[in-house]
Amino acid sequence: MDYALTLDGVTKRFGQFTAVSDLSLKVPKGTIYGFLGQNGAGKTTTIRMVMSIFHQDEGTISVLGHSDASEVKDRLGYLPEEKGLYKKMKTAEIVAYFGKLKGMDKSTANLKARELLTQYGLGDWMDKKCEAMSKGMGQKVQILGTIIHNPDLVILDEPFSGLDPVNRDMMRDTILKMKREGRTVIFSTHVMEQAEQLCDAMMMLHKSELAFEGTVAEIKQGLDKGIRIDYDGDGSVLQQLPNHDRINDNNKSAEIFLKPGSDPQDALRWLVDHLTIRSFDISEPSLHEVFVRTVEARDAELTAAGLAATGGNS
Amino acid sequence: MANKTLLVAQREYLENVRTKTFWLGILAVPVLIIISLGAGWVLNKLKEVKTYAVIDNSEPSIGRRVEMTARQGDLRAFQKAMSETGKSFVAVPEEGELPDNQDTDRLYQAMLEMPSTDMQAMVEASKDFDKAKKYKRMSLSELELDHLQPAEQEKALAKLVEDEKLFAFFTLGENPTQDLKGFNYVSNNLTDRELRDWYETAATRVVQSLRIRDAKIPRNVAERLQEKVKFREKRIDETGATSDVKVGEKANKYAPVAFVYLLWIAVFSIAQMLLTNTVEEKSIRIMEVLLSSVSPSQLMSGKIWGIAATGLTMVLSWVGFALIGVWLAPMIISGFDFPLMAIIGDPRYLISFVVYFMAGYLLYAAVLVAIGSVCNTLKEAQNMMQPVIIILIVPLVAMMFIVQEPNGLVAKVMSYIPLFTPFTMMNRAGGPPETYEYVITGILLLATVIFAFKAAGKIFRVGVLMTGKPPKLREIFGWLRQS
Repeated sequence: MDYALTLDGVTKRFGQFTAVSDLSLKVPKGTIYGFLGQNGAGKTTTIRMVMSIFHQDEGTISVLGHSDASEVKDRLGYLPEEKGLYKKMKTAEIVAYFGKLKGMDKSTANLKARELLTQYGLGDWMDKKCEAMSKGMGQKVQILGTIIHNPDLVILDEPFSGLDPVNRDMMRDTILKMKREGRTVIFSTHVMEQAEQLCDAMMMLHKSELAFEGTVAEIKQGLDKGIRIDYDGDGSVLQQLPNHDRINDNNKSAEIFLKPGSDPQDALRWLVDHLTIRSFDISEPSLHEVFVRTVEARDAELTAAGLAATGGNS
Repeated sequence: MANKTLLVAQREYLENVRTKTFWLGILAVPVLIIISLGAGWVLNKLKEVKTYAVIDNSEPSIGRRVEMTARQGDLRAFQKAMSETGKSFVAVPEEGELPDNQDTDRLYQAMLEMPSTDMQAMVEASKDFDKAKKYKRMSLSELELDHLQPAEQEKALAKLVEDEKLFAFFTLGENPTQDLKGFNYVSNNLTDRELRDWYETAATRVVQSLRIRDAKIPRNVAERLQEKVKFREKRIDETGATSDVKVGEKANKYAPVAFVYLLWIAVFSIAQMLLTNTVEEKSIRIMEVLLSSVSPSQLMSGKIWGIAATGLTMVLSWVGFALIGVWLAPMIISGFDFPLMAIIGDPRYLISFVVYFMAGYLLYAAVLVAIGSVCNTLKEAQNMMQPVIIILIVPLVAMMFIVQEPNGLVAKVMSYIPLFTPFTMMNRAGGPPETYEYVITGILLLATVIFAFKAAGKIFRVGVLMTGKPPKLREIFGWLRQS
């Protein structure tokens, strides 16, 4: 299999602090790949190393078959989490400028910028200054600046944050379109539903270490199934459900995990007695659940290791 | 790769040059200069004519001679104007001589007797009347005080001064050949001393000549006694002979001051532009987008060159304005004869100015871009910039000393401190310094610029992506040690 990105034993330290520790992963070409993890887990540092903004202290990174990403910089597209535009530049100019920085020639970049802006419904804004635009429009312009040069690998850091539903759909469609064109898209997100719906494969970082990697099916394999319900009524009674292990209550829906050996049918009966159940479904745990469990399990592990290291005094 | 640096520089340049504020800022300098020059001229024009009166108690009377001595220039102008209308009078004595012959007396009489409206028209028409335009004497008969006793005259005049109908009045003492008792100047305005000084000079000359006559000192002896010593300025030319200093050469000696000042303003303002720009770019979070396309060093040098081009545009516009001004000045102001054109056009100055401008800018740009890269707000940046400003003020303070002693110890020492080299060497251009000094200081400066660029590159690379509070100096040195 051909890989767009391979990391092997990559470590990055800032002084005493290890931001990424011994990270190995492979992103196949033409897939949508998710970077998951809590704030400060090391996602952005990993992305910056891939973009050769930072250099790793140990390990190797291969981007589009090159060991040095700066050689293929022009084939990469990057939308950082912190996005900015030159306020005084005109919309079409700045999109074209990003294209030119990626090696496009002047006239092609100018033409393509106008084409993209029209296509994305910003045709009226082409000759207006960036400072005049709303935040959502600004984000669109940034995305266009990221993809204007038709990159083979696109890395989007939190692309959905701050977008309204319409623009979220636009973002999703853009990502899907790129995949259909055979490009590889990597994006980081906190929104598990998004990752679950979009990603072919993903990895999760926890406190600078790799927690899991693989396709959604691979990640969920072997995990006990849960009950998913949609309900009306007072959700606080859920806590009284006999034999429950943990409950993710969302007010109108909930994900319930029972203690090993319990019968889901018993639980259903109890639920019907106490709430108005609109739907009932037994399925694999949501990615959200996997994420939260992983964090809890690893935190407990780290605490135990920490206690052992300090002789249980802390 | 260099192409991307160029792209960054180009964007930077266009962003600055395309704004109206940039051109207004450039235009502001000549406009301010014209306004400040014009304001002085207008204020002088607007100065009211000062009226004064004289109570002459002297015996024999000297009032009339003092007046004539003071108004020698006006008398000559009057004579010229009269002869142009066909009436000719005899010559007015040369400057320095006392107008005590009968011809001058007649001339003065004619001037006084001329109807005041005609006199006024003549004064307005001719530029030669210098004092008549500024000072007007009111005779006691005009004020209808001639019938009073001196003591009462004084009271009446004091009242007029108090009521601001008269600017001042003079009293001449009884016995000027013996003592100066009773020589008074009465006015409410004691800050404007021009009128007093003018009248005083004339009175001094009249009294002196009277005393010389009384002492029976022959005129030629008196002149010898009173002669002032004046040194003529000479310089040694290429052949080793001495020759008189021309006005142009004098101006040449001071030309470096103008250039140093321009250099300073240019370096200071555009280095600051660079700092603001870097901090702003950081605060709008565009750095990371850019760094995914260009390397930090490309970004940094692109910014520095782009702003250098901006600064050059600014400086060259000013030089252009200066050339236009020098070209226009003689047409507007008659008798304008300052060899500025030759100085501004002198390639020695122009070339060294451009070279030192670039070197000085690059040096300070490296320092400021590094500062800008570690700061998140302009306020932080301004705090960190203070030491740089203090360093920059040194050459400004030393400017006048150095131009006076272009090859003195201070000048020489400062030439070898790279942070001061561009200003000091420009400052010493009138000297001029020895060739070896140009070479050594040049090499030192170049080496420092290269070193500063390398160091700034290291700081920039780390600093530009930093958020939160600016790093401590110790941390910054840590980055410098990393390869």
